[in-house]
Amino acid sequence: MELQLHHVSKQYGKKCAVNNVNAVLLPGVYGLLGANGAGKTTLMRMICGVLKPSAGSISLNGKTMETLGERYYAHIGYMPQEFGFYPDFTAREFMLYMAAVKGMDKKRAKTRTEDLLDMVNLSSAADQKIKSFSGGMKQRLGVAQAELNNPSILVLDEPTAGLDPKERVRFRNLISNFAKEKIVILSTHIVADVSYIADTILMMKQGRFLLQGERDAITENIKGKVWELLVDEKTAAEFNSKYSVVNLHHENGMVRLRIIEETAPSQNAQNVEADLEDLFMYYFGEKAEKQEVPYAG
Amino acid sequence: MLVKYELLKILRKKSTLLIMAVSLILTAFLFGLPAVQYQTYDQDGVMKGMEGIAFEKQQYARLSVSLSEEYITKTIREVQKLFESPDNVGYDGKETFLIGDAYWKGIAPREKLLRFIAGTYSKPNESLGYDSLRQLDITKGAFFYQKMAEKREALLLDPARALSKEQKEYWSRMAHKVKTPLQYGYYGGWEVIISCFEILMFALLAICIVIAPVFSGEYQAGTDAVILAARYGKTKLVAAKIAAALLFGTAAFVLHVLTACVLPLAAFGAEGWNLPIAIANSTIPYPFTFLQAVLVNIGVIYLVLLAMMSLTLFLSAKMKSPYQVLVVLIPIFLIPIFLTPGNTAGIYNLILFLLPYRCAMPEFGKYISYQFGGAVFDVLTVRAVLYLLITMLILPLARTTFKKHQVA
Repeated sequence: MELQLHHVSKQYGKKCAVNNVNAVLLPGVYGLLGANGAGKTTLMRMICGVLKPSAGSISLNGKTMETLGERYYAHIGYMPQEFGFYPDFTAREFMLYMAAVKGMDKKRAKTRTEDLLDMVNLSSAADQKIKSFSGGMKQRLGVAQAELNNPSILVLDEPTAGLDPKERVRFRNLISNFAKEKIVILSTHIVADVSYIADTILMMKQGRFLLQGERDAITENIKGKVWELLVDEKTAAEFNSKYSVVNLHHENGMVRLRIIEETAPSQNAQNVEADLEDLFMYYFGEKAEKQEVPYAG
Repeated sequence: MLVKYELLKILRKKSTLLIMAVSLILTAFLFGLPAVQYQTYDQDGVMKGMEGIAFEKQQYARLSVSLSEEYITKTIREVQKLFESPDNVGYDGKETFLIGDAYWKGIAPREKLLRFIAGTYSKPNESLGYDSLRQLDITKGAFFYQKMAEKREALLLDPARALSKEQKEYWSRMAHKVKTPLQYGYYGGWEVIISCFEILMFALLAICIVIAPVFSGEYQAGTDAVILAARYGKTKLVAAKIAAALLFGTAAFVLHVLTACVLPLAAFGAEGWNLPIAIANSTIPYPFTFLQAVLVNIGVIYLVLLAMMSLTLFLSAKMKSPYQVLVVLIPIFLIPIFLTPGNTAGIYNLILFLLPYRCAMPEFGKYISYQFGGAVFDVLTVRAVLYLLITMLILPLARTTFKKHQVA
């Protein structure tokens, strides 16, 4: 299974939402990271075939989406961001309806619906109308419908947005369970979610892939640039306006700062191991927005 | 399977049930109103509603006759005889009329028939009552069917109609197919249905309002992304959506038509279904029975519905919300209500008679025809063909538009 993005662009008037993106995706979990408006959703829509690229092509195992037609869509499972449901349908009816749209036969649709509703912990609510569901229940139903046809490409756009911490953990585990031998593309701006489940990070900025690489390797880009130091409150305020502060924590009247900077911001600053959040802030923090950070991908 | 779910989507909405309930109640009320408001008179006073209808039907029992020349002559002579006695005649300064038993026994039970006969001898656009029969010279016979043909010819020659030679020939040929002598009888129920047909336009509008969200509702709810990314989202699902909308529309239309027909026929009776519509007006050139006329017009209205549903589906596929669809659709239905045909023929009238609201009115006696080269078609045929063509052209467009929809 190989999903190829070949010079994919999407232009809205003068604005380029996705700009000449190239990638080859093999089975694994891809965390698509980027600030709002980076082009993540647009790229995902194009991968799912619901938005036509202005230029370039998307291919599966060497055959373009257009050539494959219905066969391409048979490989797709898509959970868009904040998508609507049919409020007057029950969860089971919605799943069976989606199974029919996905071309599944009746018997398989029924079995798969029951299995998935069980997996997402909605079996007891299967005959309730969706309009009575909480946000978390809807999100779980959303991922269940995406997984119905056991797709080889599972695209999840901001699946954890709006969920409380408990729901988010449950959701992450669910996605990990579904991810085996699939290409899972997960977009979010919640870095922690990606760092838990993604094997590969695709970082997008202004419609382009800024960085792409394995979760552990990608932070190498900012190796030696993450610092921690303990300062008084006055100094903390000065540092906060001067440097890119990723974290600020009060400790016994002092403040522990986590700063991203090319060189040590002070003599007592200690160089620490970079994580994904640091990387995100390095590329998308206030400082990065003001000055152009070089593309590394 | 997909059609079933798409139908469920339409039927489960509260708005669907509400709109259909209001529309059915309105149809039942307006088609039932003539029965409630019906009144007739005898010497003892007014009889309303079902009592009046029962009395009228009893009177007509004696009028189920073949309108032969002999019968017409005999009837006219009877009226003239009543006028011969000065005791029977009243005068209000403008016209003479029969009074007392002469009216209540000799005229009232068959006044509608007498007006029909008198109308045949009147000039075009002139409305005459039974009293005009008094002056008629029938010494050599009534020549009723000859007069009927002459009146039709006079109507065809009316310069205001601006009919071409081919159109005149077309109508003359059609009128010759009306079987004579005409069989007369009671046709109250059918008369009500034919006169109330335009009310069905509100049912058509209601159906279109219900199906307006078929595509645009998906865009509005944000479900378009999920279904279009599914295997059959751009193929079988589109067909299923269209099929479900048409099925719903057809079922709702049948329900409305049944309501519209059953109420008047239950109140006034189904008698007269096999009588020629020419007995409602002797200048009607269509050789239909009342049942045929009603069925033909229902067929035309159904084709209008199919076209309007196709247009609704196309707009729904094109626009982002059902409300935008309605902003375009409602004026198409309602504006023609306020447009009235001009006195003279012309392109305005020809277009007006093809607009959805006007299409509900059969216009059996108006000689509205359309000429394409040497070929002439009556308004019913043109409406049927036009709306069938609109359906055939727009429905595939709705399909393509949804298929090409971009989730942006």
